[in-house]
Amino acid sequence: MFDKEYAFRGKHADMVTRLTTPFGRNNVKLFERVIDAYIMAPLVGFLYSKKADLDKSEGDKKIFLEQISKNEKTLWLTYRLIMLLDAKHAPDLEERIDKAFRHYGSDKAFTDESLFEEYVRGGIEVLHEKLIESSKKEEDYLENLFNFIDDINNRYSKEVDIDSIYDLCRTART
Amino acid sequence: MLLKSLELKDFRQFKGVQKVEFSTDLEKNVTIFMGGNGSGKTTIAQAFTWCLYGNTDFNDKEVFCKATGAGLGANERDYVKVTVRLLHNDREYTIRREQAYKKDVNGIVKPASQTTLSISFKSEDGQTVFEKQTDIEGRIKEILPIELSHYFFFDGERIDKMSKDITKGKSPDFAEAVRNLLGLSAFIAAMDHLNGKGQRKSVIKSYNEEYDGSSDAELIRINNDIKMMESEILSIDERIDEIDIERENAREEINRLKEQIRANAEGEELEKEREQLLHSISNRNDRIKDIKSLLIQRFNREAPGFLSRKLIQDALLGLSESDNLDKGIPDIHAKTIEYLINRGHCICGTHIKDSNDAYKHLQDTLKYIPPQSVGSAINNFTNECENRMNNSDLFFDSFISQFKEIRTEENNNIEDEERIHQIDNILKGLKHVGKLQESLMRFEKLDRELEDQSKKLLMKKGEINSKLNRESSLRKEMALKDDNNRRIETYKAYALYMYNTLYEMYAKKENETREKLQRAVNTIFKTIYNGGLSLSIDEQYDIQITVMDYNGYSDKVETSTAQSISVILSFIAGIIKLAKESTANDNGDEFLTSEPYPLVMDAPLSAFDKTRIKTVCEVLPNIAEQIILFIKDTDGDIATSYMENKIGQKYVLDKHNELESYIVLEEV
Repeated sequence: MFDKEYAFRGKHADMVTRLTTPFGRNNVKLFERVIDAYIMAPLVGFLYSKKADLDKSEGDKKIFLEQISKNEKTLWLTYRLIMLLDAKHAPDLEERIDKAFRHYGSDKAFTDESLFEEYVRGGIEVLHEKLIESSKKEEDYLENLFNFIDDINNRYSKEVDIDSIYDLCRTART
Repeated sequence: MLLKSLELKDFRQFKGVQKVEFSTDLEKNVTIFMGGNGSGKTTIAQAFTWCLYGNTDFNDKEVFCKATGAGLGANERDYVKVTVRLLHNDREYTIRREQAYKKDVNGIVKPASQTTLSISFKSEDGQTVFEKQTDIEGRIKEILPIELSHYFFFDGERIDKMSKDITKGKSPDFAEAVRNLLGLSAFIAAMDHLNGKGQRKSVIKSYNEEYDGSSDAELIRINNDIKMMESEILSIDERIDEIDIERENAREEINRLKEQIRANAEGEELEKEREQLLHSISNRNDRIKDIKSLLIQRFNREAPGFLSRKLIQDALLGLSESDNLDKGIPDIHAKTIEYLINRGHCICGTHIKDSNDAYKHLQDTLKYIPPQSVGSAINNFTNECENRMNNSDLFFDSFISQFKEIRTEENNNIEDEERIHQIDNILKGLKHVGKLQESLMRFEKLDRELEDQSKKLLMKKGEINSKLNRESSLRKEMALKDDNNRRIETYKAYALYMYNTLYEMYAKKENETREKLQRAVNTIFKTIYNGGLSLSIDEQYDIQITVMDYNGYSDKVETSTAQSISVILSFIAGIIKLAKESTANDNGDEFLTSEPYPLVMDAPLSAFDKTRIKTVCEVLPNIAEQIILFIKDTDGDIATSYMENKIGQKYVLDKHNELESYIVLEEV
């Protein structure tokens, strides 16, 4: 995984196109590149528990290998996070750790990779729904973006403690 | 005029000084000169002519005595002189003419000067007064005009010519001279003064010259000009009034526009504000664009971290609960170790072979490195998590702050746009200052143009006014001239009236006088020439001889010499008679003045038969106041016998030779 070019298909390709198309008088694009949407999408999909199957209808939106390769670490981190956290996919932590750290990139990772892709597509759908669908003018896109970020913040900021995260990081390294 | 004496000095054949006294006795009024052919009878008669008029009828015009001239030496001078004394208008005149002669070296005697004439008279106090040279001619004319002299100094030898003269073709001067003699001179002078012909200035002529005939037409022209100028001034005034109103309107408009422009200065401020607002909005939009761009960049770059926070936190918590965190060698995978063992030497160079320490050590390491151990993988994972977390805590605040910034700027823009909208609404009510300024300039230009027009019109008016003043004073002058013309007309009318009155009187008198003359001449004529003939005198004092037919038929007839002499004598005698009567019978007619005249007659009595000689001799002395008669020796006795009682002086002309004669007084 993350060693070849990637392509969105069908409706997701359309959605990605819209997410990466300039809007308004200032030609603002929500995602500067398709890779940026690809990086964001699995996180969103997972956070919103949104998975989506591959749409095999016409249309595709490609990400070249070069861009994939440049963002390989980022993508693997997200992959591992999802693998570690998706208890529905694998209820046992040790198994999830294996998926995250032992089986990745191997034949054993096929379902895991599919899961990741599902979250990618689900994330694209969420982003499209929240940022694009209800937008009619430039202000709407920004407003939606603000609402989306605010929504995330409202949902998790109280639960997230940055200091404890850094502590956890130190503990993990020792 | 009566002749008193004649003194000759070397006049033709009368050598030296010779003097004769004429009889001035009222009774014995005849002076006789007797002489043979060539004795000088005609010369003496001509001496009067020469003295009075400077001319003679002789072919030889040189009057200096040839005998005296013969006695002159070379370059010697002498002179000829004739002195006539006469009475005229109760004044005794001495008339003297003389001329110098000189003999040249060739012995030829020639005049050495022009003749000189002098007239002197005795004044009442006995002083001798000389006439001015300029008055002499007039005086001679007054005493006896040359035109009549031939009739008074009567040359019988020229009867034929005189006869022709007297019957036709006499000069107008003759008629005038006759009129003068007949006492009409006062009339003539008065009429001449009033309305004389010729170059001389008469009263009426001078009035005509003073009369300005052009003034009437000029006055009409000036009047027309003045009328035109007055109407021009009137229309200029009207136009100036119009301009004043137009200017007033223009100035009102100017003030109104200035007021509007002042009010609209606020508009200008608003315009500026609007511009500034637009500028701010534009700046803000740029800024918003920049912020948006930064916001998106931040979202793209940092949002994954932000989104990952919860996941990382949960993941790390989960891992911390497991026993999978160890001390593996970071980034060393089992494949790395297997590679080193297969290669046979370590990175540090240590030889690796079955069962040596290095081999055993590496085999042991495999327990702590992936895939057998996930410790190091988790370690890496942790580091990456940490990296991803970097700045993620700032993302939200930054994102929000940037978003708010955008919103603030957008709100500012909205406020500004509202203000612009407000300004637009205010400006809608205000006209554009530039437009107002344009209108103002237009009206100010109009005002200036009107002012110019007004000035020009005023100047034109001034010009017309001064011209009008000039024309007006000219008109005054013309009016005065006109008055003058009227006055002159009046004077001229008076003068003409006077002239006409005088002329009527004159014509009447002249007619009467002429008729009188005709009667007198006829009476005399019939006395000295009996026959069925009568004379008539026309207006030119030409005498016509007509045959008196018994049947009343009359016709002009040819005249014989005797007839001619008779006619002449009758005419002259008639004139003399009339003149004498007029003086003698001072009949109270103040318009007629006259003077007695002598009859100096070189008379060819031989032309008459004895009967007629007797008649002539008896009649003439009774008619003329003075008779001076030159007769031939052969006629002398007859004349003496017929005029015996009338002869006061008698002279005999003694002819010494062809060049010398002497006057000898004989006892009467």
